[in-house]
Amino acid sequence: MNVVAWEHILAVAGGIVVFLVASFALRADWKTPGLDNQVFKLMLGLLALGGILATLTGLQIIGKS
Amino acid sequence: MAVASVPHEGQADQLYVETRALRLQGFLLFLVSDLVLFSSFIFAYMYLRNSGQGWPPPGITRPAIALGGLNAAILFGSGATMHYALENFKRGNFIRYAWLLIFTIILGALFLGGQAIEYTTLFREHITWAGSGIFGASFFTLTGMHGFHVLCGIIYLTILLLQSVHGVYDKQRYFGLTAGTLYWHFVDVIWVVLFSIFYLV
Repeated sequence: MNVVAWEHILAVAGGIVVFLVASFALRADWKTPGLDNQVFKLMLGLLALGGILATLTGLQIIGKS
Repeated sequence: MAVASVPHEGQADQLYVETRALRLQGFLLFLVSDLVLFSSFIFAYMYLRNSGQGWPPPGITRPAIALGGLNAAILFGSGATMHYALENFKRGNFIRYAWLLIFTIILGALFLGGQAIEYTTLFREHITWAGSGIFGASFFTLTGMHGFHVLCGIIYLTILLLQSVHGVYDKQRYFGLTAGTLYWHFVDVIWVVLFSIFYLV
């Protein structure tokens, strides 16, 4: 297997892990009060989105090269 | 006089509680100002990109999507480890916190390594900051500025790690760690946008 294939596989694995971790963290923090926690929730949501993007890129569903 | 102005521990705690909200607001304002900086560059890039010839311009190859995707996963992963580092510190699990913070720093360094490989590949194809028109200028400016933020973040997190090892923070007073986590999440979120506009669209 060449380097590019490994990069795709690791991107998919990393993206899935990030999505799951960010989603669980967001769920756990959902009811926490305070300005900092509200910002954390926003950023965790965007991090989950980033995980989805990395996964789809690794699967070669999105992205141009 | 100077001795009398030094607060004892109880007063320091009260001072901490009273000033924490102000410090948080100040730090968020800093992040907003950084967001404005990135936004202005991103909007300039999008305007230039959509104002003329096709994209990328003729003779310019896009950066490799496979490496870009892996690099993105690495940086987003570091955001997750940083979040759980803070959570573990709040729960008093210092060892796990320290390992997660070290892991975050390593992932940040790996991201910079990936970016260095990417730059080297582009340089070999004679795509440079000054010699490749709008594409080179905007790509290297935005990703370079982001890389500089990651580098600053690595230094910042290393300082936080050393401070926490020396007992600067405890379960009641850890604003520095909250600020560090906010900064690292900010760097991640900016990369979601940059990754999308340079590799996906």
